[in-house]
Amino acid sequence: MSGLETAMLPVMQAVLSGILVGGVYGLLSIGLSLAFGVMRIVNFAHGDMVMYGMYVGVVGSTILGIDPFLALPASFLLMAVLGALQYRVVFRRFVGHTTLNQLLAAIGLGLALQMVAQLIFGVDARSAHSIFAGKYDLIGPFFLARAQIVAFGVAGVATILVELLLRKTQWGKAVRAVADNIEAAEIVGLKSQTINLTAFALSCGLAGIAGTVLVTYYPTDPTKGFTLMPIALIATTIGGLGSIGGAFLGGIFCGVIQQTTAMLWNSALQDVPLYVLLLVFIAFRPMGFFGRRSE
Amino acid sequence: MDAPATERGASDPAAERSPRRDRERRAFIYGFVAIAVVAALPTLPFVNDYLLAVVVRALIFIALGQAWNVVAGIGGLLSLGHGAFLGLGCYATGILFNDYGLPPWLGVWVGALLSLAVALVMGTMTLRMRGVFFALATIAVSLALDQLARHYVDLTGGDNGLALKFLGDSLWFMQSRTPTPFVYAGLVFVIAYYWITRWVLGSRLGLQMRAVRDDEVAAAAAGVGVFRTKLLGLLLSAVMTSVAGTLYMQSYQAIDPETAFGLSQAIQLQLPALIGGLGTAWGPIVGGAVMIFLSEATNWGSTKLGVAGIDILVYGLLLLAVVMYAPKGIMGLFAARARGGR
Repeated sequence: MSGLETAMLPVMQAVLSGILVGGVYGLLSIGLSLAFGVMRIVNFAHGDMVMYGMYVGVVGSTILGIDPFLALPASFLLMAVLGALQYRVVFRRFVGHTTLNQLLAAIGLGLALQMVAQLIFGVDARSAHSIFAGKYDLIGPFFLARAQIVAFGVAGVATILVELLLRKTQWGKAVRAVADNIEAAEIVGLKSQTINLTAFALSCGLAGIAGTVLVTYYPTDPTKGFTLMPIALIATTIGGLGSIGGAFLGGIFCGVIQQTTAMLWNSALQDVPLYVLLLVFIAFRPMGFFGRRSE
Repeated sequence: MDAPATERGASDPAAERSPRRDRERRAFIYGFVAIAVVAALPTLPFVNDYLLAVVVRALIFIALGQAWNVVAGIGGLLSLGHGAFLGLGCYATGILFNDYGLPPWLGVWVGALLSLAVALVMGTMTLRMRGVFFALATIAVSLALDQLARHYVDLTGGDNGLALKFLGDSLWFMQSRTPTPFVYAGLVFVIAYYWITRWVLGSRLGLQMRAVRDDEVAAAAAGVGVFRTKLLGLLLSAVMTSVAGTLYMQSYQAIDPETAFGLSQAIQLQLPALIGGLGTAWGPIVGGAVMIFLSEATNWGSTKLGVAGIDILVYGLLLLAVVMYAPKGIMGLFAARARGGR
């Protein structure tokens, strides 16, 4: 092996782990992007739904003895129901415009969700045990955590399924119609409130899946929602607000930047380039990689 | 927020003027009484340092809320990261004093200049886009500052934060053993910021800011420089926040990344204006007093119950309740009653 190759190996390793971590960031982001694309809602409580998804994995694993990956359907359903409830009570009145009040309502809801989690589960970090935990695969010269590989797979499949759902099904057509023009959709007989409710429930269900997948290798505590939210927001913006595939790729992009920064510069400052990148994107390409120009 | 009154005034100017002048006079009297009561507090026998510290906290958050009110209430810009300017004010004053012996009287202006620079860069990069992007950018900037403050330990004290070297009572270094001087300093801030807000509301800039807030396209069509208006509002608010940050630093004598740049601090900066009434000069004053009262009450309650975090839960629910049921805050409720009851 030549000297250059040896020097590049750690960087390649960082890029690969970045892609794997980033896939899950993408999974965090697609639900967020869906809610924005359909309803113009920036749901700051999305991270807290992810946090609840993580606790579903913890409860399933420690109390019921179920592997977190088997708890995915339950997590999806629980968070979807909770999301539908949130839509009915809070977000219904904010559809269509991202306003100061909408952002503040989401933050208020997020704080309340976080504190309720703290009252139920306490402040200590909790983790779930998966059969993949602590196992590593040697692929070529690279060590990769098996839990992260499986998580990446789930993220990719979820993204493709949501894209198909939006593009190929009657429901997806209705959602896109409501997103494009709510009045016109009502005129042709679509019930926009019901459609938005299902879209919001799907968005939160995806947050649940993301959380349960994440908890297989990343312990949770009630503040995790706030910890994860900035990355999800950045990935969504970079991918293009409202784009599902874009959010997934944006997540991967963020993961790679974060891991290579940690490797080449400093792991304590691994997120700083992401924040700078967000500003640069907002200034020069606010529609992100895949957003529509009108965004 | 006086839209109905103005409409009536257009049809019948004489009928409009006198209740408005009455209201002004009443507000002036209320204000004068409030100032007198707060100013007399330290001299009263039953008032201890704990109570005075609570009053100082209320005054500081009223001033900070007033600063946020300028950008968010009058300008309609969704700043979720005003902690960045508070933090810059605190850290600049603290570092310059601890490391170079510079009195806060000078440090405050360094902090203000830093905040101005950050606001200028952030504003120039994001204010041409839709509001949501500005909101995201403010979060990103405070989080970036948070990571930097945690990392550069030699400069900032890292996670543990920065504590001012205490020299004893000194006006030159703005230090005091008792909270009494800070009651008066806080009072000066509250009065000054109230007048700045009043001035902005009555000025051409304030008119343009409200026009941009209510309808950007219409404002642009009427010849308002939308970007310039937003930027000026942000710069003014950033400097006000940063200068109040110096008072914060001198009064608490310590700052850490979470307190400066954390989300719960950012929310505490917003609550006074939100509870009291966005875009009004009285809103942050009323709202700040209510917020600190609630915060002390829940803190007392959660120590009694032995459960942590109830204050944050209350903040969250309060935020939710205000934006959903009373988006114009307490002042809005008063105005509605005054209109309905007459």
